[in-house]
Amino acid sequence: MNMMSKMIAIFLALASWCAVGAHAQSFHEQVDLSPLDSVAVQTEGRLKSFGSFAHGEMGFVSGPRKINGQSPEFTYLDMLFRPEAYADADVIFVKAAIVRKPIADALVRVNPGLAPRMDAFLASGLISESLLARPEVEPVMQQMQSDLLRTAKAMDSVRGARTVMQPEYLLRQLRIIPAAEGDKNQRWSSMRDIMLLAADPGALKAAGATATPIAGIDETKQRDCAAAWKSLVEGWTNGDAAVVNKSLASLAAILPSMNPSAYPDANRLRWESWYFSNGNLVWIWLVYAVSVTLLLLGLVYRWRSARVAGLVVFAIAFALQTGALGLRWWISSRWPNSNMFEAVTTSAWFGGCAAIILEIIMRPRAAAGMFALASGFASAVALMAAHFLPVQLNAQISNMMPVLHDVWLYIHTNVIIFSYCLIFMAAVSAAIYLVYRIFGGKAVYARVGASAASTAVAGGANALRGEKLGEVLDGVTMLLMKLSFVLLWTGIAMGAIWADHSWGRPWGWDPKEVFALNTFVVFAVLVHVRYRVIDKGLWTAVLAVVGAAVMLFNWIVINFIITGLHSYA
Amino acid sequence: MKFGRAIFDLFSSVRFGIVLLILLFIYMTIGSAGILYPVHPNIFYADAWMHEQMRQWRHLEMTEFEWFHWWPFDLLIGLISLTLIVTTVRRIPFRVINLGVWTIHFGVIVLIVGSFIYFHAKVEGDAPVARRKIVLKLDGVDAPVELLAAPGSSAFIGFGANRMTVEVAEIDPAWTLRSGKDDGGAAYSVKLMVTDASKRFMRQLIANHPEYTEDLMFTNDPAQPMKRAVKETGNPILEPRLSAVLDYESQGYFYLRNDLAKSWALYVRPLGASKWVMRRIDGLPLYNDRINSHSEVFEMSGSTLPIDPIVVSVPATASDDPCPDVTFTVNGYLRYAQTKSRFVAGGANAPFNPSATIDVKSAEGAKANYRLVALDPERSTGDEGVVRMVAVSNEAEFAALLGRAELRIIIPAAGIDVVEPVRVPQDDGKDGAKNDADKPFVAIGDPALGYGFRILAAQDDLPVADRKASVVILDIKTPSAVIRRWVFDDSKLTRDVSAAGGSHSTPIPPDQSVQMEYQPGGGRALLTLAAGPNPEQLRIVTSFGETAGKSEVVAVGQTVTLSAGLTMQVSAYEPRAVIETRPMIVPREQQIRDAHELFAQILLSIPGGQARWLEFSSYAFDDFRFALRRHPFHPMQIRLPDGREMELLFSRQRVPLDTEVALEEFVLTSHEGGYTGEAGTIRDYTSILRFRDEDQWSAPIRVSVNEPIEHNGLWYFQAQWDPPEPPSARDERGSLGLNYTVLGVGNREGVWIQLSGCIIAVLGMIYAFYVKPTLIRRRSERARLAAEMRIGHSNEIVTP
Repeated sequence: MNMMSKMIAIFLALASWCAVGAHAQSFHEQVDLSPLDSVAVQTEGRLKSFGSFAHGEMGFVSGPRKINGQSPEFTYLDMLFRPEAYADADVIFVKAAIVRKPIADALVRVNPGLAPRMDAFLASGLISESLLARPEVEPVMQQMQSDLLRTAKAMDSVRGARTVMQPEYLLRQLRIIPAAEGDKNQRWSSMRDIMLLAADPGALKAAGATATPIAGIDETKQRDCAAAWKSLVEGWTNGDAAVVNKSLASLAAILPSMNPSAYPDANRLRWESWYFSNGNLVWIWLVYAVSVTLLLLGLVYRWRSARVAGLVVFAIAFALQTGALGLRWWISSRWPNSNMFEAVTTSAWFGGCAAIILEIIMRPRAAAGMFALASGFASAVALMAAHFLPVQLNAQISNMMPVLHDVWLYIHTNVIIFSYCLIFMAAVSAAIYLVYRIFGGKAVYARVGASAASTAVAGGANALRGEKLGEVLDGVTMLLMKLSFVLLWTGIAMGAIWADHSWGRPWGWDPKEVFALNTFVVFAVLVHVRYRVIDKGLWTAVLAVVGAAVMLFNWIVINFIITGLHSYA
Repeated sequence: MKFGRAIFDLFSSVRFGIVLLILLFIYMTIGSAGILYPVHPNIFYADAWMHEQMRQWRHLEMTEFEWFHWWPFDLLIGLISLTLIVTTVRRIPFRVINLGVWTIHFGVIVLIVGSFIYFHAKVEGDAPVARRKIVLKLDGVDAPVELLAAPGSSAFIGFGANRMTVEVAEIDPAWTLRSGKDDGGAAYSVKLMVTDASKRFMRQLIANHPEYTEDLMFTNDPAQPMKRAVKETGNPILEPRLSAVLDYESQGYFYLRNDLAKSWALYVRPLGASKWVMRRIDGLPLYNDRINSHSEVFEMSGSTLPIDPIVVSVPATASDDPCPDVTFTVNGYLRYAQTKSRFVAGGANAPFNPSATIDVKSAEGAKANYRLVALDPERSTGDEGVVRMVAVSNEAEFAALLGRAELRIIIPAAGIDVVEPVRVPQDDGKDGAKNDADKPFVAIGDPALGYGFRILAAQDDLPVADRKASVVILDIKTPSAVIRRWVFDDSKLTRDVSAAGGSHSTPIPPDQSVQMEYQPGGGRALLTLAAGPNPEQLRIVTSFGETAGKSEVVAVGQTVTLSAGLTMQVSAYEPRAVIETRPMIVPREQQIRDAHELFAQILLSIPGGQARWLEFSSYAFDDFRFALRRHPFHPMQIRLPDGREMELLFSRQRVPLDTEVALEEFVLTSHEGGYTGEAGTIRDYTSILRFRDEDQWSAPIRVSVNEPIEHNGLWYFQAQWDPPEPPSARDERGSLGLNYTVLGVGNREGVWIQLSGCIIAVLGMIYAFYVKPTLIRRRSERARLAAEMRIGHSNEIVTP
């Protein structure tokens, strides 16, 4: 256990090191943005915490990249107050590699001196606004904009990034003044609407502008708010962190008091900011990876302590993931299953639930540890995907499309993603079985009648020797496969029930539907092949892996490439 | 006999069943995902792979639905069902232990039967339903006139002096009521602009509240441009002869979806008739272009479209077809094309119609390209008038182009008569002159006299009544006041609008103490291309800077320096251009992905030898006044050899609804902060419908996303909506939207059988996977116990 706690300590230290990083003392270090954690912004039909809002907006500019190691909250305000500092900084992330080269070529042709910078751009995808605004780039961008098949989308996102960088846009989007009435249809106002209240009346008149307070909100508060904003702007542009911190604190205090009944709970906002500034907790994959390593050591070397340690780490990882999921559920006030990020992470969590239950049931049997291994692997892969592909698996919380507002979203989607995770887990044990066979394992299988032959082999994992190992692995595959077989069929049928009242047809031969059915067909083949062939274990393992491949093809390729009605991400 | 036996064995073979399942997998994969093949030897390149939908190939031309109802698929499913039944009955003993597998197989058969019923009865389409129409009646005119309640829709009623033009000026889907018991409620409001020979007024109609119909009068007060007639005259109606009433615009048909199964149709009616008669077009492709010759279309360079003609005849089928004797033929099909007109060389005898293409380049590398046609008002200018082309018929006209814009100012009292250049200050805020009030005055004559002017705006070639006029808007400072004046090139139109800073009033004839004449000169264009008087003669006039324009003779291909770093080149000039119209095939990478068949066209051969391209229309609307926003409507008029005039329309097949449906109301609900134009703010779309049952409108019924309703065996779904659109250059009125809904309409026979099949199969799976093993275990346990008992018993016997 001592080794365990050490390992956990190392991991926690590693995670916090990743989150913080080391930077020189500077204005950005001295500024304390924490008061903003409890400030709400109304955006795209939701009330978000300033932290998650800034994450989303800055994501449009620099994608997954952090600018100068600054937090997105800091960058948002800095871009708003000191736009000149970003005009020639390489902060716009051009995701599509296919459009980087034409832009770089056009720039280098006219300015050969830019070649090294363009090499960096080709590699990192980061380029500056001023380079994109050059006239020699314009025709190239127009050309790519007109290619709707290949490059138009990438151009749209570049255009979007440039729009977001405009101080005018950043200010307009900053809708942090709560609506006067509690009605949820009321629009919140942007800082722009009241900031002139703090302006010198003489200067205001000279500029031909007028400042009118928003009706229905205490005018003194509006004036205080505008004054705090004014000193924030001045403090920020002068690089005076003390003034900035003071005005941020007073701003954060005034805003909720303008209409407390319309303002979201401060704790929820703080947790939301925390959740986003900690990368949506997808770093939990590291903990899962440790448990998988330990469980594999335990399996291969029949090393009991490693297996027990692996199970403990798995339990910790699962508890952390449950916490992350619960937190997201609370923040977004809905069960997380409506975009790609949520589908993938929730699917993995379902696998974890199944593994925990199966581990408890199978505790005295030889299969102990196998389910945790399979689920740990699935979760590690899912969270890794969320970690390393933040653009594809966008973690932003946004409103669901009207069509998703249905009870069947919660039934159909969860049953399907649960079955997907089980399919993946079955493929993990099948893959281990195949490795076992490659290394000379005997052609054994779990006998019928012993539902999951694993139950037949009693005596804990220490009994895993020779043939028994193959038998148990095949039993685990079959157990998971049968569960997923029933769930997949049920999930498809439930999807048909939803589709029937949503799109007007239970079955429309949409690619996503067809490939769900295809996955099922593979498992139907598996069941019947197992009935016929002699080397049942081998064929089961091969087909379980094929079934998982079809499932993954459905989830990844169909979703992102062959779009249909199910393209929710 | 032996053969029969072999067949029977085959169908009771599990191995054969597995083969069939694998075939099913392959068939479904190809039909749904298409095929992927390498097009480059290095298969690791990202673009070394080509993805194609096999079902969309030129000789297959199948939608997903059609691919999955093709005979090979039906055959495969039939074989699977047969194998399933035969194998189950023959090979699996009907015992408790096998109940699971029997149930699963039975459930699958039930599902297949249900699906067979479902898919063979399937019809699915969409029905657009507009919210209201306006029924106009005028005293002394027999027939009422109807028009759609849609922004910009217009009609006229009456004749001669009695003629009134009615135009929908504004629609507010949620107008706040301010009267009596309805105070605070919202209703659908339509404001009509009514114009007749003597007056112009607005009439406001409120849906379901005819009692609130009232007229609004225009006033001269800019702070309150409209006044309620009731306040002015005591009577809410200014023009009692005209009656305008809002009524339901019901829909009696739904249109089959082409992406389910191809369902093209040609609609025919005699010119002037309102009722369309449908003719099915069977055998027309959906995905691939079919042409007879490359001269039928415009193609992008490098196109390799094969010549691949089709002949699809479209005979009359309906008994009420207006020309049953005429069979049309479709000889070409384009999936995605736009009708384009190009000017091409017209030969020596064609009339003078100069056209040119010019390229302008800046030193920084910015490029612009203009195609100009001097005599076509829509094509004679580029970049909002900065570049233009004119045709001059004599040298005097050419000389006028060289003049600069000037203002002649005469102040008799001060003895001033000067000519000042007209320079409009740039409104980009750089001068620090965003507001008119900040612009500096230019002194007129001696500054000590106290006269000055400042130009606020200038606009050339404004359409005024039947001709064009140019105007300068300026403020004049006199020692005593500041006057705002509109100075027209035609001095009869010049008016004083107001005293700056003072109250607004009616434009009045100009104050004669300061007289002004405006000479627009070469106009606003910085670059004018002048063709003529000799057809081959091409000159340019440039007016950069404040001096008069410069002229230069140019030749095709010659580069001319315009001003610092700006160069121009005429890349083509055609003095006798003629227009040629053809569909232009849009390259695949420029096609909008979700456009479906919106840009399709067919080449229709009409008896008498004509062949004309006919563009796709979303629906067979009655006429342009009833066409819905954002839905293409392209009827075409033709004349048959015997002189009959017909109108044709290319669209989808329609099916009559049992009962007409009308849209009472369309409601958009939103998330936090209301609808802002972002998709994420929309919560739900709801259509509130009424059905015409037994000549009466039913009570309102809600249809929203995920909440369809059933009416007479058909299901109605919320499918599309009419989003608000801000005013744009192409449509300066814009729309607040919500004027119509599009409903999905379809049937769903056999879904209950399908569902029972699924449930039976699930029960079977649970039995087979979780009950059967327990049974087997118990059995073996019992057998073991029995064996142990036997052994124990014998032991007992043996042991003494």
